[in-house]
Amino acid sequence: MNVESQDLKQNAIKDWVHLYSDGLYSWALTKVSSVEMAEDLVQETFMAAFATFDKFENKSKPKTWLFSILNHKIIDHYRKKNNAHQSLDQLTELKATQYTDSLFDKNGNWNSMEINSLWASEPHLLDDPIFNNALKLCMANLPEKWSNAIHAKYLLEKKPDEICHELELSTTNYWQILHRAKLLLKKCIENRWNP
Amino acid sequence: MNKIMLSCKKSTELIEQSQEKKLSFKNRVQLSLHLMACNTCKAYAQQSKTINMAIIQFLQKDKTDDKNTIKNDDLKEKIISKL
Repeated sequence: MNVESQDLKQNAIKDWVHLYSDGLYSWALTKVSSVEMAEDLVQETFMAAFATFDKFENKSKPKTWLFSILNHKIIDHYRKKNNAHQSLDQLTELKATQYTDSLFDKNGNWNSMEINSLWASEPHLLDDPIFNNALKLCMANLPEKWSNAIHAKYLLEKKPDEICHELELSTTNYWQILHRAKLLLKKCIENRWNP
Repeated sequence: MNKIMLSCKKSTELIEQSQEKKLSFKNRVQLSLHLMACNTCKAYAQQSKTINMAIIQFLQKDKTDDKNTIKNDDLKEKIISKL
């Protein structure tokens, strides 16, 4: 690469830092637990953008491109997080599997057919801070692998085959994880509602 | 032998799958039959959608909301110095 295009690249990235780093940083802060980690992730995002600048072809907006790099960094961060950093609330996969199994009897039918009354206020639930807070806490309960799959699906809006590829899951495994994660969230929210 | 009546466990699994892909004809018939007979699973289908929306709301909130932006000028300096 010649000097001129090197300068061009550097100036473009500098502009992006001024325009988008606050937005990226604020977003990262809502996703990870510490200021330092959020700063690191944003720095890494710009370093990655700098390194792969030639692949950015103005097909997407710079902001979109940078956010997608950052989101991948966030997922990597969660994937790398080992047991030492595991949050206290996070269930092991075995426990979570046993728990979701216990919702059904030996024939696979619900142990309790009762429909929790919380769902009756359906149209307003999404605006209810108590409901949203319950969901947030329950998301923290998900075993790591399940949480990664949920983040990839809902945050990165990945298709099932992409998620399977990136998280090294079989298709069957993916559907099981998604199914169990949703069951766990449902039950966990209900339990928090009327303990 | 394939049973025509699904269990609730299998039905809720198919409910999840149906949100992302088209189920086979057989599965669609089995699921509709099950949902006609089982109110708990019918309720689950709605609950599952509500949870989807709540997750999206939680994960994607203030992604583009500028009023929640936190300024960090030190970070800007730091990144630019490294370029």
